[in-house]
Amino acid sequence: MKIDRRRALAAGGALLSAMALPGVLRAQGKPIRIGSTLPLTGPLASLAIIHKVTAEICVENLNKRGGLLGRPVEWVLRDDQSKPELTRTLYEQLITADTVDLIQSPYATASILAAMGVAQRYNKVLLHTSFGIPKLAKYDMQFQTAGSPFDPENVWPNHIFDAAAKLPKPPKTIAIVTSKFPSVHAISVGAREVMKKRGLTEVLHLEYEFGNRDYGAIASRVKEANPDFLWGGTNGIDPMLMLEAMKKIGYRPPAQAHLFPAPGPMLKLPEAQGALALTTFESHAPFTDDPVIAQFVKTYGERAQQAGIPYTSVDLQSAIMYASWQVLESAVTATKSLDDKTIGAWLKKNEVKTLFGTLRWNGPQNYVEGADLYKVKQLQQGKWVVVHPTQWAAPGAKLT
Amino acid sequence: MPSATLLGQSVLSGVFIGALYGLLGLGLSLSWGMLRQVNLAHFALAFLGAYVTFQLAAVAKIDPFVTLAIVAPAFFVLGMALHWFFLRFSVTLLNTLLVTFGITSIIEAGIQWYWTADFHRMENAYAAVRWKLGPLFLALTDVITLGFALALALGAWAVLRFTDLGKAIRATTEDAPIAAAFGVNEKLLGFLVSGFAASVAAVAGLCLALNHTLAPVQIYAWMGVVFAAVMMGGLGRPIGPLVAGIVIGVSEAVTMAVTNPTWAPLVSFSLLIVILLLRPARFS
Amino acid sequence: MKTALAVCAVVLCAVPFVGLPAFYESFLYLLLSAIVLATSWNLLSGYSGYFSFGHGAFFGVGVYTTAALAGKLGWPFLWTLPLAALAATVLGVALGAVVFRVRALRGELFALLSLAITFVLSTIALNTVDGGPGIQVMVDMPKIAPTASGVLYLLMLAAAALTLWTAYAMYHSRFGTGLFAIHDDEDVAEVMGVPTYRFKLAAFAISCALAGLAGGIHAIFVSYVTVAETFSIALAVNVVLMSALGGTRHWLGPAVGAIAITMLLYAFTSGNAAVVGRALSGLILIVVIVAMPAGILGQILKRFRREPPARPRPEAILTDLHHAKKSGEPLLVVRGVAKAFKGVQALAGVDLDIRRGEILGLVGPNGSGKSTLINVVSGHYAVDRGSIRFEGEELVGTPAHRIARAGIARTYQIPRPFQQLTVLQNIALRPMFGQVVMDRASAEAEAWRWLEFTNLADKAYRYPGELNLHQRKFLELARALASRPRLLFLDEVLSGLTPAEMDGALRLIRAIRDQGATIVFVEHVMRAVMEVTDRVAVLTYGRAIAEGAPAEVMRHPDVVSAYLGAAHV
Repeated sequence: MKIDRRRALAAGGALLSAMALPGVLRAQGKPIRIGSTLPLTGPLASLAIIHKVTAEICVENLNKRGGLLGRPVEWVLRDDQSKPELTRTLYEQLITADTVDLIQSPYATASILAAMGVAQRYNKVLLHTSFGIPKLAKYDMQFQTAGSPFDPENVWPNHIFDAAAKLPKPPKTIAIVTSKFPSVHAISVGAREVMKKRGLTEVLHLEYEFGNRDYGAIASRVKEANPDFLWGGTNGIDPMLMLEAMKKIGYRPPAQAHLFPAPGPMLKLPEAQGALALTTFESHAPFTDDPVIAQFVKTYGERAQQAGIPYTSVDLQSAIMYASWQVLESAVTATKSLDDKTIGAWLKKNEVKTLFGTLRWNGPQNYVEGADLYKVKQLQQGKWVVVHPTQWAAPGAKLT
Repeated sequence: MPSATLLGQSVLSGVFIGALYGLLGLGLSLSWGMLRQVNLAHFALAFLGAYVTFQLAAVAKIDPFVTLAIVAPAFFVLGMALHWFFLRFSVTLLNTLLVTFGITSIIEAGIQWYWTADFHRMENAYAAVRWKLGPLFLALTDVITLGFALALALGAWAVLRFTDLGKAIRATTEDAPIAAAFGVNEKLLGFLVSGFAASVAAVAGLCLALNHTLAPVQIYAWMGVVFAAVMMGGLGRPIGPLVAGIVIGVSEAVTMAVTNPTWAPLVSFSLLIVILLLRPARFS
Repeated sequence: MKTALAVCAVVLCAVPFVGLPAFYESFLYLLLSAIVLATSWNLLSGYSGYFSFGHGAFFGVGVYTTAALAGKLGWPFLWTLPLAALAATVLGVALGAVVFRVRALRGELFALLSLAITFVLSTIALNTVDGGPGIQVMVDMPKIAPTASGVLYLLMLAAAALTLWTAYAMYHSRFGTGLFAIHDDEDVAEVMGVPTYRFKLAAFAISCALAGLAGGIHAIFVSYVTVAETFSIALAVNVVLMSALGGTRHWLGPAVGAIAITMLLYAFTSGNAAVVGRALSGLILIVVIVAMPAGILGQILKRFRREPPARPRPEAILTDLHHAKKSGEPLLVVRGVAKAFKGVQALAGVDLDIRRGEILGLVGPNGSGKSTLINVVSGHYAVDRGSIRFEGEELVGTPAHRIARAGIARTYQIPRPFQQLTVLQNIALRPMFGQVVMDRASAEAEAWRWLEFTNLADKAYRYPGELNLHQRKFLELARALASRPRLLFLDEVLSGLTPAEMDGALRLIRAIRDQGATIVFVEHVMRAVMEVTDRVAVLTYGRAIAEGAPAEVMRHPDVVSAYLGAAHV
């Protein structure tokens, strides 16, 4: 049969163009390298593993969807051993020696500041997840992906006291116990101001050194002060230690809030039930209404289990890391560019819808003053559920 | 001015944490004072014991005290192995610090690899039990810790003071060649002391698991204060770290009861400094 | 050697201008910082043996001084660096001035104190300067290099050069030798003339100053300081590790260890192997230190140590030690000296005259107080009461090293040489700190003379542990003689010697006296006492009961009964 040349050419052309169709099913070409560090060893390692598992899922999903700009994404991760001086050096390595295309966030304020300095010197955009003191972020092209307000010392106490006001017995007397860990301390300082404005009475104010081992005296003093509400300016394992110390002396605060507790250990402690805390995301509706997010939650649960992480729900830490990759993807896709200046300019003028709300950066120092994406969650019968504000609350959830 | 109950409860709290310092310090003090080995890895070993206890209790559902019957002998052997290693390579005092630091890194990495860096809390029925002594509360797990600390410290002291074994150990510590001339088997005693120190770490680990939430980073959190208690209490003196630990714990607790808790370490360590400067001869 | 050094210096300074990625500058910064911290720690702790666990405290003081001045008050940060060093020094001197005065405070106690200081300072910093939120240090860099990392690298390079030069200078000076002597036996060093208090304080001050300087620069490097980060115990432990790994006895040892450990730290920063990496680095550490117990540098030096060529025999012994003044008048006058030790009255009121140019035998039963008398005269112990006048000057209350300077020397009954110094260094120590202070070179020349005199010349570069008892006793003797003392106490130098060796020793003793020294000769060997002494004094129960010509004294009834009980003659 005589093959019609024109038809063959047309068929061949169609085949070729189908193969060249940008990344619907296949990312190809030189990988885009995105570099960051995490404290995989050292005191902050317990948080890093959550970020690592999350980011790995994000990069995988990204590549499944065709990567960025049609190219596969490669994540270059290094261990900063929880040391800011190492973070600085490693980011310089990533940028100047490894010549990565873009950089991503390390963990916690000190390391982020170290990375920010490097980013500033090389005019790189820095998206960051876990920066605790917004006023210190003075670099023009830094963008937070946690939904933090510019003035958390004002906004967050208000969130918590708004939620507290909805409790069956709204508190009037408050005991403040705060660690001197930089970020949470600042919030507690702000809380005292907020309390005054709301007409709440401070019956006790205690500060303790981060790393304190003995909470016996603190527990006794709170018990003696007999407050309606315990404000815990605490993070990590401190709330647990404090509550266990209180348990030993037969005391249980009528109501309490802790800023950023490690979610897992408190689940089974009776004295912790009813505690309020801050979060951006919890693994229930309406957050999981989006099937993509629901799938992520499921995948994360499996991976976390494989990795041996005790707490396998997606919550604050995982979500802020997930959001950072959502923002990265949106910005790069929208600008069709890997140029930091372009990306930075775009972020300032636009917003990105993330798994816990819409992020924008059009306020002072790329934050937004007075508004944020944080919510208040409560530990109810061994599960953390968002209770405030109501549009994000789990269906039927009430403050108990 | 804080109430008597508050002060009393705080003092108790200080005593209990001091007991834990003493328990952690006992093994360290014995191997440092008697064997001239600074065993930094003692902390890592204690936490390893805590994790293993946790694992056996949480997963195999064995009662934590029963786990001690498994862990303590196992650690005794580990302690002997460590001593063998030091003997085999004639490791000097300063170098034992290096070697045990290396061992600490290895154990810490092992713990993190198996249990991750995230927090683990051993659930146990004992945590809920507490008693009332007048207006003061006593938690069972605390009392257990204090009990162990006292028993082991006093027991070790008694053995050293009154038994032939103890005298032999003290003789070897003071002058090994002469003691050997009198028929004392230095090697065997070294193994005994080393093994005992490691099993004390196992007991400390049990108490840690009962009372605290575990994370690998905490291996380092206790180092500073326990070292201070050990040096303060006099190397090789079993009761020393306990007493010193309680002094530190109580002074910190009382500070926290009376003023802003953030000043606590200042008070306890200044107190330490003052005591040392005024009565140094007591501690050499 | 000098040219190699100059080339090195040029290469190192040129690094920021070569256009390397900034990462290398930062990594080198970390390396240099480790070198500064480890080397400065070693200046006190390695050299003198006073282990400090508080190096982090002084580093932290430097960090916070710069952070507060440059970060909070906006001072130009280069000016804050000397202040950072100064603040750390002042603190160190204040601590040292109190601590080093207390004689019983050795070893672990100093370590404990320095550890406690870290906690104290960290709490103070947290609640005052820092207040909680940490301090952000955003400053303008002076334009001495193209990149910010380059500037910091150069600053730390300067600090490292300063530190290494200081370590080198100290190591080769009498200051360093004195510190090493303190390390081995502080009491003996003091009696040999080393001003131990001053030296320890000076070493501590220098060590703190350098740590503070490194801290000040570090505040800029991290640009945000928090108390938890700065005052962690990690730094205190790391400097010990680095110094031990490299070798604490050599000025360059800690630097070698610092480089090794920093590279080890860095080798495992890949994201995939973080945890395994930590285990591996621990394993490597263990293997290295087991294979090289003297430290990396220490081991290398041991392997390649060459015996320096033996010195040409110097000319014959000098003819006299001193201008022989009129002999016969009292040189040392002891009146009513008493000393008790926890209820045992060792000296119960001793009266004794020692005349210039004589050999006085000091005898008595065991426990009569002979060694104690030597110890109080030389300043090893303080007297409870009494007076000791040497050439008219009161010695009671004078620190031992000044007594040594005045010209009094003694040997120890059980030889106490400095174990980690060579025989030559042991002997050379005395002249370095003696009446006429000599520098190291002249002191060694002087030492050679006495090595000849005591026939130890071929053992000059050996360590005391390699000598037999006879040689060690002669080492004691040479050590005592090397400072050309006016008054020499020999504490049972003959015990354990064979008769032939004894004769040789007695000849030596006469020769020493003939050169102008006055000798007090404590002995049990009666024949030697009778042979060589001019006069004899007898001590029993802490009292001098007889003094005079040998034959007379030994027949004195009190003396006979002291030795033999009631006279049966």
